[in-house]
Amino acid sequence: MQQEITPASKPSLKPKTLNQANAKGFNLHVNDKWYALAFLGPSVLILGVFVFYPMLRTLYLSLFLTNNVGRPTVFIGLKNYVNLLTSSAYQASLQATAVYVIGVVAFTLILGLLLAQMAVRKLAGIQWFRTIFSATMGVSVSVAAIFWLFIFSPSIGLFDQIGTLLHLPLVQWLTTPGPAMIAVIISTVWMNLGFTFLILFGALQMVPQPLYEAAAIEGASPSYQFFHVTLPMISPTLFFTSTVTLIGAFKSFGLIDLMTAGGPNNATNLMVYQVYRDAFLNGNYGLASAESVILAVIIALFTLLQFKFLEKRVTY
Amino acid sequence: MTTKNGSQQRLLILGAILVAVIAAFAGWSVMSKPAAQAQGAKRTKVVFWNEMTGPAQQQLNTFVKDFNQSQSKYEVVSEFEGNYNEAVQKIINTHGTDASPAVFQSMDISTSQIHHTGYTTPVQKFIDEDHYNVNQIAAGARAFYANKGTQLSMPFNTSQPVLYYNATLLKKYKITPPPVNPSYSDITRVATQLTDRSHKKVQGMTVEIYGWLFEQFMANAGVSLANQEDGHAGTPTAVNFTNAATVKTMKWIQDNLKKGDFVNYGAGANAQNNETASFLSGRLGMFMQSSASIGQLTTGNQDQLGITYYPHPDGQKSNGVAIGGASLWISNDKPSNVQRGAWEFIKYLMTAKSQAQWQVATGYLALNKDSQKEAVLQNLYKKLPATKVPGEQLRAATPNATNSGIFLQGLIQERNLTQTAMEQIYNGSDIQKSLATAQKSMNAYIQGNNRANGY
Amino acid sequence: MIQTKTRKPLRYLVLILLAIIILGPFILGFWTSLLPTADIAKGALWSTHISFANYAEAVKQTAILRYLLNSFVISTLTMAAQLLFCSLGAYAFVFLKFKGRDLLFYLILATMMLPFEAEVIPNFATVRQLNLLNHYAVMVIPFLTSAFGIFMLRQAFRQIPPELKEAADVEGLNHWQFYWRVTLPYARISLFTLAAYSFLESWNQYLWPMLTTFSDKFRPVQDGLRQLQSQETFNNWGMIQASAVIVVVPTLIVLFVGQHYFKNGLNEGATK
Repeated sequence: MQQEITPASKPSLKPKTLNQANAKGFNLHVNDKWYALAFLGPSVLILGVFVFYPMLRTLYLSLFLTNNVGRPTVFIGLKNYVNLLTSSAYQASLQATAVYVIGVVAFTLILGLLLAQMAVRKLAGIQWFRTIFSATMGVSVSVAAIFWLFIFSPSIGLFDQIGTLLHLPLVQWLTTPGPAMIAVIISTVWMNLGFTFLILFGALQMVPQPLYEAAAIEGASPSYQFFHVTLPMISPTLFFTSTVTLIGAFKSFGLIDLMTAGGPNNATNLMVYQVYRDAFLNGNYGLASAESVILAVIIALFTLLQFKFLEKRVTY
Repeated sequence: MTTKNGSQQRLLILGAILVAVIAAFAGWSVMSKPAAQAQGAKRTKVVFWNEMTGPAQQQLNTFVKDFNQSQSKYEVVSEFEGNYNEAVQKIINTHGTDASPAVFQSMDISTSQIHHTGYTTPVQKFIDEDHYNVNQIAAGARAFYANKGTQLSMPFNTSQPVLYYNATLLKKYKITPPPVNPSYSDITRVATQLTDRSHKKVQGMTVEIYGWLFEQFMANAGVSLANQEDGHAGTPTAVNFTNAATVKTMKWIQDNLKKGDFVNYGAGANAQNNETASFLSGRLGMFMQSSASIGQLTTGNQDQLGITYYPHPDGQKSNGVAIGGASLWISNDKPSNVQRGAWEFIKYLMTAKSQAQWQVATGYLALNKDSQKEAVLQNLYKKLPATKVPGEQLRAATPNATNSGIFLQGLIQERNLTQTAMEQIYNGSDIQKSLATAQKSMNAYIQGNNRANGY
Repeated sequence: MIQTKTRKPLRYLVLILLAIIILGPFILGFWTSLLPTADIAKGALWSTHISFANYAEAVKQTAILRYLLNSFVISTLTMAAQLLFCSLGAYAFVFLKFKGRDLLFYLILATMMLPFEAEVIPNFATVRQLNLLNHYAVMVIPFLTSAFGIFMLRQAFRQIPPELKEAADVEGLNHWQFYWRVTLPYARISLFTLAAYSFLESWNQYLWPMLTTFSDKFRPVQDGLRQLQSQETFNNWGMIQASAVIVVVPTLIVLFVGQHYFKNGLNEGATK
């Protein structure tokens, strides 16, 4: 790396004469080209090989049938897409993903905001609560899955035991479709809370105090303050958090894999899990590629939305 | 200024922790390395992929250790690769790279697929070279993994699906145990009595949502799942899930679930773990599973274990079930000395002694005929007579096209689809409709797959 | 003021309730890791045999420490590489003038829209072709750089006053020197944020290592836990919980000590 750069850097190390100074602008630009190559080369190479090319390749593969060792053999045009979009199983997967994403985003934001709002007031020992509220940021997906798997497990799990104690009807959390979806949403929200709390907490701290004081003097109720001062002030951060959470939810895989493996009755068979299942369990790479393309399009749209927004704010 | 100092201090602490962690890891990895390296220096490394869990995994690891100690030429390295379904694509995907295994275990229903990849050396080659006496290995199991007189892979862990019941619990509630070859209504009776007499403290019965069990219901009823005689007469082009026998079976389960005599534990590894845990703690009276669970169900179980044949539909004789389990394959992407090492290891696993030990530890059937004479196995039969049942079930069946496995590529897909159908049915959906949906998807899959592979 | 005083106990009550919800799974996980599995299987959440036996078992019988080491190596390498390549890339976009700069920047920005999860099929084929499977390299090389990192650092580098660059030009500093001596120190908080972000991102990888590692020698901790969980037919909950705790404790410590930085860095990232 360094050796590549040293020769190019030599000219500017030389003592400057008038002549060179005149030519400097031109020289710099010539040098810049090589610097750019050295500085950007590695990044461009990696992104090209592992992000750009695979997208094109996925598009290509999605137009084929693949044989039993995963090679594309028969060109079938858009048939994979047609089959997917008309298959009730895939529609169910899309629907499950939508329910999951909406559930995760809504509860993550509401709870995150509640935590941040509670922690922003100055109270003795509040630092402890702030630390605790951010704790799940240190939890990785498999740890979260294992903790919650135990909580939801039948007969020995916490929820089952509480239910038994209170003589409530037993819920087979992970083996009945509805409750299984609730279970994975709860686990995901819990896992997301630490990060969301930190960001929203930071945003709340930056709301200028005089705004509240002015509102208080005018006799505004706390809820009025919240809706008319706090929310507008942190709405950019809320938007950022919600898109990050949303995109993350679309990409969910680990928790699903460990907790439900897409079941029961495909109720938690989210899009990424469906890709994994069709490609790496069924060996149906063409179909899985078509599913990947659909997933990519959805995520790209939401990312674009986020960009549009960020761009606006950067220029302000 | 003070805050700046404070933050620098924190940074320092963070750095110190990181350094300490690195140091601890480095120390630990240096300490744990030399032993392994010294041993493997001269030996030919043979990577072995398996999908065994629990007691079977422990026994398999013991075999690996014993094999490595028994000779000095090869070192077998065993790697657990997750469940059967995952392993197939892993095997295909790594072929020809440094990551691929030299010898691997692959499940019964992947036989056709693995064979068609052309990625393996048939064990027949080594059988011929060594004049290995294959007749000592159970013929039924061998036939499952042979094609046109060539032994493709070596049958290894071979099981029979059976029904387990808690004999102690039945006695407690004064319930007559099911007969050794029960019909559906025999099982319904026991399940109903258990649920009623225990006042729902004991769950009567569960049938895991598992494609394998679905296939075995069809086998035992004597109906083909795929056309071309379950693929024994040619490449199948369609499946039949909607036949009368299957509908009847699903209705049996659905009705009992509705009545509350059966319970649903779901699908997958979690379901298996949970039903086993419930059974062992006396909260579940009966369940159906591979005979390979025997090891797990007898160690540390205070209650007496009862075993019966796989249930069959009322009003007909049982046709018999196919064997389940997996076989051992040798990859052809490794040099000949590594392949030879893989074969030596397979031979070691198939000795009468190893196979007897295998059955005792796991419940998989000993495939070496001489194993029956081994003391460990004799002792097991004496101690737990019920453990003879799976072997008897195997011998009781006359092999025919419907009970000798299904030679169809994409059986993993079939299991996913039938499991989805089972889940829907268990949750109260229309039986005919759920099965028809699965059938339609599977037929589309088969057509696409046949086309993609040029069959 | 009076209002807040009367509300104080209520506020504490809510805070404590929320803390219990957040901490509940941790506490339950830690507590059950101290119980014998036999008691857990019976549904008992209390036992007279509290011990660290499950931890001893996890360390002795499983490769949990190896998994941790693997994750540590992978995440550290990924973090270091991303710091280097992202900062170099960002520098190029801020201080270098070359043809097609804006186009290239937008192209790189566009890669942020493409989820890695949707590209695993060809990427698997690529690393297979390169014979990288089942090695640390397979989990590091695709993530040597990140579009997000370049974007974030570009924002940070743009805050550097132009006078600094002019002064450096007068002093005859070349780009490499300016990058190293001025740009990096100036943007150290952003760099720290990127470091934390890339380390955690790599540490939390699940799908990709699951597809590309086949032995305990290289398997990172997320997939190690999956491995432990799927190997246990008996539901050895005590040991599984102990392993989960072993995995979560180091990240929690790092988080608590480095909290201050995460907070600042994250907010910077969020508000920029």
